[in-house]
Amino acid sequence: MQRDKFFKEIDNINHPNEKLIKTHCSYCGMQCGINLRVNTQTNKIIGVEPRYDWPVTVGKMCPKGVTAYQQTNHKDRLLKPLIRDDASLKGTAEGFREASWEEAYDLIAKKFKELQTEYGKDSLSVFSGVSMTNEKCYLTGKFARVALGTRYIDYNGRFCMSSAAGGFLRSFGVDRGSTLPWTDIHDTDCLFIAGSNTAECHPTSMFRIWNVQERGGYIIVVDPRETPIARRADLHLDLQPGTDLALANGIVHQLIEMGYIDEEFINKHTNGFEETKELVKEFTPEYTSMLTGVAPEKIIRAAEIYGKAPNAVVMFARGVEQQHKGVDNVSAYTNMALVTGNIGRPKAGVATFTGQGNGQGGREHGQKSDLLPGYRKITNPKHVEEVCSVWGITPEEMPKPGVSAYEMIELMEQKTIRGLYLLCSNPAVSAPNQNYVRKAFKALDFMVCSDFYLSESAEFADVILPAVTWSEDEGTVTNIEGRIIKINKAQEPVGESKPDWQIQVELAERLGRGKYFTHLKTAKDVADEFRLATKGGYADYYGATWDKIDKQDGVFWPCKDEEDEGTPHMFLDKKFYHPDGKAKICALPYRPPAEEPCEKYPLRLTTGRVVYHYLSGNQTRRIPFLHDMCPEPFVEIHPETAATYNMEHEERVRLFTRRGEAVYKVKITEAIRKDTVFVPYHFGHEESINLLTIAALDPISRMPEFKACAAQLEKVELKKVQ
Amino acid sequence: MKKRLYLELENCIGCRSCLAACTQCGGHEERNRNYVYDVNPLVNRQTMPLMCLHCENPACARSCPAQAIQIHETGAVLSALVEKCIGCQNCTIACPYGIPKFDQEQNIMYKCDLCIDRTKDGIPPMCASVCPSNTLQWLTDEEIENKKKQFNLDNGKWVTSMPYLEGETNVKVNLPGILQGITKLF
Ligand code: SF4
Ligand code: SF4
Ligand code: SF4
Repeated sequence: MQRDKFFKEIDNINHPNEKLIKTHCSYCGMQCGINLRVNTQTNKIIGVEPRYDWPVTVGKMCPKGVTAYQQTNHKDRLLKPLIRDDASLKGTAEGFREASWEEAYDLIAKKFKELQTEYGKDSLSVFSGVSMTNEKCYLTGKFARVALGTRYIDYNGRFCMSSAAGGFLRSFGVDRGSTLPWTDIHDTDCLFIAGSNTAECHPTSMFRIWNVQERGGYIIVVDPRETPIARRADLHLDLQPGTDLALANGIVHQLIEMGYIDEEFINKHTNGFEETKELVKEFTPEYTSMLTGVAPEKIIRAAEIYGKAPNAVVMFARGVEQQHKGVDNVSAYTNMALVTGNIGRPKAGVATFTGQGNGQGGREHGQKSDLLPGYRKITNPKHVEEVCSVWGITPEEMPKPGVSAYEMIELMEQKTIRGLYLLCSNPAVSAPNQNYVRKAFKALDFMVCSDFYLSESAEFADVILPAVTWSEDEGTVTNIEGRIIKINKAQEPVGESKPDWQIQVELAERLGRGKYFTHLKTAKDVADEFRLATKGGYADYYGATWDKIDKQDGVFWPCKDEEDEGTPHMFLDKKFYHPDGKAKICALPYRPPAEEPCEKYPLRLTTGRVVYHYLSGNQTRRIPFLHDMCPEPFVEIHPETAATYNMEHEERVRLFTRRGEAVYKVKITEAIRKDTVFVPYHFGHEESINLLTIAALDPISRMPEFKACAAQLEKVELKKVQ
Repeated sequence: MKKRLYLELENCIGCRSCLAACTQCGGHEERNRNYVYDVNPLVNRQTMPLMCLHCENPACARSCPAQAIQIHETGAVLSALVEKCIGCQNCTIACPYGIPKFDQEQNIMYKCDLCIDRTKDGIPPMCASVCPSNTLQWLTDEEIENKKKQFNLDNGKWVTSMPYLEGETNVKVNLPGILQGITKLF
């Protein structure tokens, strides 16, 4: 299925006393196919071998994927539960002692019950993540609602994909991150890529992306930095951080002005065009240029290339989504596809580069404060009934919607939430405004953290539970394309570590809710219940059995039943998921970033990633090769800007905002705007750039504005003298 | 069908996956034998890999007084035989591209062996398998010939290793600039 010109039949090398386990990388949404090499005598993972047979990535891997296997038998693995009796040590890695699972479970059950008796059901919270299988994500939602009975569950997708979700829901009525399979991408004629440092964050997309240019097509990149992909792009729109909405409106205006719109498509399949046309009128190239800092000619040229292309794909990522208008940015760029009819056929469409491995699947099945499996809404009585019938509870027992990830942290600080069960996430690095976040975690009466390494967030816990890595369990994830794929188990869990689904079943039993969980004895049991719970929802996984996934090289959702082969291309029938079947072209007034530069904070601070690290770095900072390549964060500064501060390459300087400060090594580069500085976010403690970022939330997605705030630089020596 | 390592330097994104992958080839003792350079780090993000080109008449082997550097029947210029290498480091100086590395502790050289335990059976080398940008590819001569046609520049200059590099090499290189010859679709 979907084997294209990049696919070659290649055998793998067979080392003696080894077997290969076909699976996927543990990290980003690309979910590159990899083989784990397992020694058949020790039954341990010992290496990696390319998976040439995986149609999306044909053996390719970035350096994270090549070294991912080193996580499993790493010396830092947590082997036993840890308990800390001295709460005054919270926020440090000190004071933990090893304990048995019995003791840990007893303590958790006792504390959870005490808190709920005294402060009510909603005094507990669950903060989870989407770097784990659909099965685990599903069960985490059920665990919060059925075992704990709390409304407060949310997840780290609020810092990752939630704006894309919000934008797609508004534009299309459905949130599937890509409307087309990745095997189409190299065959399109124009790629318009906004806010994606693709070469570093989704490297294995690059051979397809470069191929567009080899075929004579165009790449347009929107980014405040001249990233490796921007360097080779046909056109680089070097906008100021946080001004995407103006740029998108400006381009849509040009598309209309220059006559590149598809009137028939607009009339038949969309709503909102006239209103949008009226709104974007103001966004002339000059006005757009004034707001964004992009030259007017470039804006016109971008519209011309995109408008002329027989097939074009609009793609974007965290750069446009991690803003307090992230949802508007997504819908505004999606407008480009809708006014030109570049959607609902092969080689044309809209896609977001999914960040986390299961960023797509993990947001669909009930870890989000207002969602239930199958992308059902907790506020819709019919949806609640459907899920209750699978879970065996009554609709009255279903908790009400909660609040978003960052707002949960606020409730911790305010003591509304008193207990936390954290898994698969490291918000003590990844959440914005860290000084506040760390204070909130310290304020908790009781915190449990499940992880396979002692993360910065685990340092705030009273109990740490040792979880397994992805290679010690099985299940499905949904990749960047919306393709459900299978993760396979390569070795037994190290030490006493357990998969999170098993931890939840056992904890539920301790909490007296066993009858809803005890039947789940294997990952496959969870998978079967999970598929059933999605049946009839619009993210319907019912037909995506493990067998079918294996046979078909993955299954694109929706996949409703046994016969259904899944849906690689969305909207081929030009039917969108709004009740009238039409897509929505959105009229979106421009708003500047929440915090604009001023005299005291004259620079624009933007944050992002490097190719060597994943998310908060809790995993990748421990891998020797990756650590060596990028051992510490840095601040990228344009040489002219550095000169005005009298700063030199590699000098240590203080960077600060209204919320916090940190000291970084200067990296001088012309590949950034003069008014902007950049720091990667994968580092913890006093190196964390999120000490400085702003928690201005998007009104719809509740995504914080990681990508733009006002900052100032200072020489470190100068400060000492003062 | 004989395949070769083919380098298209225009594509490199500097991810250094090729370095990570080189450590993973069995028999490499987890040390990489290739290099990636930042071309102009204070200016832009251009990078390029520097790989052994497996010369047909390799200077490293010619310079070796102990005949420790053997040439495999596939043309791969192998790493020094541990039992023969005397640690004189002639090869590291002789190689025009600075490829051979030296292990101070063991007093022996080591270099890219084109992942010989893979390539002898037609399996692509680790670096070319993983390279996410197709800078490193494993191609037949026919495929390389097609590349040559595809990237033929208007000015009649095929940018290749031939005029610039020392002698014939088994690895074929394509320097940056290939896109200049492409006719745009519209
Ligand atoms: S991190 Fe992403 S791009 Fe890199 S190997 Fe893993 S899945 Fe592929
Ligand atoms: S793997 Fe490929 S793209 Fe990455 S640094 Fe090496 S040659 Fe360049
Ligand atoms: S061919 Fe093999 S030995 Fe040579 S650089 Fe590539 S991975 Fe390393």
